[in-house]
Amino acid sequence: MKRKIMQTARVLNPRLIMMLILAISLSAGFSSCQSQKKLAKKKAAQELAERTAQAKTDLLAIINDEGRMTLEEKEFKLNSIKRMNLEDQEVKDLIVQAEQKIAVERAAIEKRKEDERLAKEREAGERGKYSSINDAMVAVAASRDASAANLAIREALQQFSNDDVPVLILISQDGDERDYDEPTTIRKYLEYLKDQKKSPDKIINAAYDSNGKIKELELQKR
Amino acid sequence: MAKLKIFIFLFSLLLGFNQLKAQDNISPARKLAIDSLALEKVRDLSTYISIVGNKDTPWSEANRVIERTLELFADGAMMGVSSINREEVNYYGVREYLERLMALNYDKVDITWYNIQYISDLERQPDGRYVGVITVYQRFEGTTEEGLRYVDVTKKDITVYVERKSTQISGRIIGFWDVLLGDIRVSETKPG
Repeated sequence: MKRKIMQTARVLNPRLIMMLILAISLSAGFSSCQSQKKLAKKKAAQELAERTAQAKTDLLAIINDEGRMTLEEKEFKLNSIKRMNLEDQEVKDLIVQAEQKIAVERAAIEKRKEDERLAKEREAGERGKYSSINDAMVAVAASRDASAANLAIREALQQFSNDDVPVLILISQDGDERDYDEPTTIRKYLEYLKDQKKSPDKIINAAYDSNGKIKELELQKR
Repeated sequence: MAKLKIFIFLFSLLLGFNQLKAQDNISPARKLAIDSLALEKVRDLSTYISIVGNKDTPWSEANRVIERTLELFADGAMMGVSSINREEVNYYGVREYLERLMALNYDKVDITWYNIQYISDLERQPDGRYVGVITVYQRFEGTTEEGLRYVDVTKKDITVYVERKSTQISGRIIGFWDVLLGDIRVSETKPG
C-alpha cells in the first residue's frame, strides 16, 4: 500500500500539488469571509429590529403615560429615539404622536405656572388691600389677656359700619357651588378669635359703605 | 283620565327621587370640608369649656362664653358628667352643665380635650341631615385650696348634626352648613 502511494506521488507533478493546495485554501478562505459577512449582517438586522421594537415600546409609554413619567423623562427618551434615525414608518408616526403629547403637557405646565404666578400676584394685592383689617384681627387673636383683646376688638370694630356687619366664611367651593359656615357678625367673629386664639381666616372680599366702612366681609377657611 | 293620573303620579315620584339623589351628590372635597367644619366645632367647644372652667376667667367673660357655647348645641342637648367616685353618669342640660362647671368648688380647674376624631362618619339621613359621632378624651384636673387634687380622664361621644340651610344676606341667598352638637355621652371614666 505504502509503495503504491509513493508511486502515485512520484507520478504527480509537485508543482501541480502546490497549486491544488493553494486553490483549496483560497476557496476555503473566501467562503469563510462570506459567511462572516452574512453573520454580521444578520446580527445588525437583529439589533436594528430590537432597537426598533424598544423604540416603539418607549414611544407608546410616552404617549399613554398618565403621570408616572416626568416631562423631562419623556423628552429625554424621545430625543434618544430620534437620535437613532430609525427608518421604520411606525416609529416615525409614534414620534409625531409623542411630540404632540409632550407639547400639550408642556403647554399645560406653562399655563399652570402662569396661573400660579397670577394667583400669587393677586393674593399679594389682596393682602395689601385688606392688610389693615387683617392686622386688626391678628391683634385680637394675639392679645395676651381679655382686657387687651377687648381693646383690640374695639379698635378693629372702628373699621366696620356696625357690630352686626355680616361675616361669611367660605369652607369649600366646587364649581359654582359655594359652601359657607353659618354666617356670623363681625363682633362675634372677633370674640371668636379672642376666645379661640386662632389666626384669622383669609379675607377674600369686603364691601364698603358710603363712609368707607366695611358693611360685609367674606372670609375663606385656612 | 285614570291613566293620566297614574302617569302624573309616577312622574312626580320620579322627579322627587331625582331631587333627593341630586342632594346626595356631594363631592368628596365638599364632604371633607363639612367633616372638618364639624370637627372644628368640637375643638371650639373644648376651648370654651376650658375657659368656663378656668377659675382665672372673669365672671362676665365666662357668662359671655357660655352664651357662645350654647350656640354650638341643638336644643335640648344633654351633657353627661361622671366621676371616679361614683358608678352612675349624671346628665344635665348644657347651660346647667356650664353653670355647674363655673361654680365648681376647686381653686384651680384645668380641662383639656385630646384625640378628637370621628368614630362614626357623617352619614346622610332620610330627613336630609347628616349625623355622625365624634369621640374625645377629656382630662379634668381640679385642685382645692388645701392642695387636694382630683384627676380623671373620660371618654365622651358627641353626636353631630349637619344640615344644609340657606339665608339671605344683602339680597343674596347664601347656602351654608349648620353644624349642631347633640348629646355628649360618657362612655368611659378612669383615674388620671
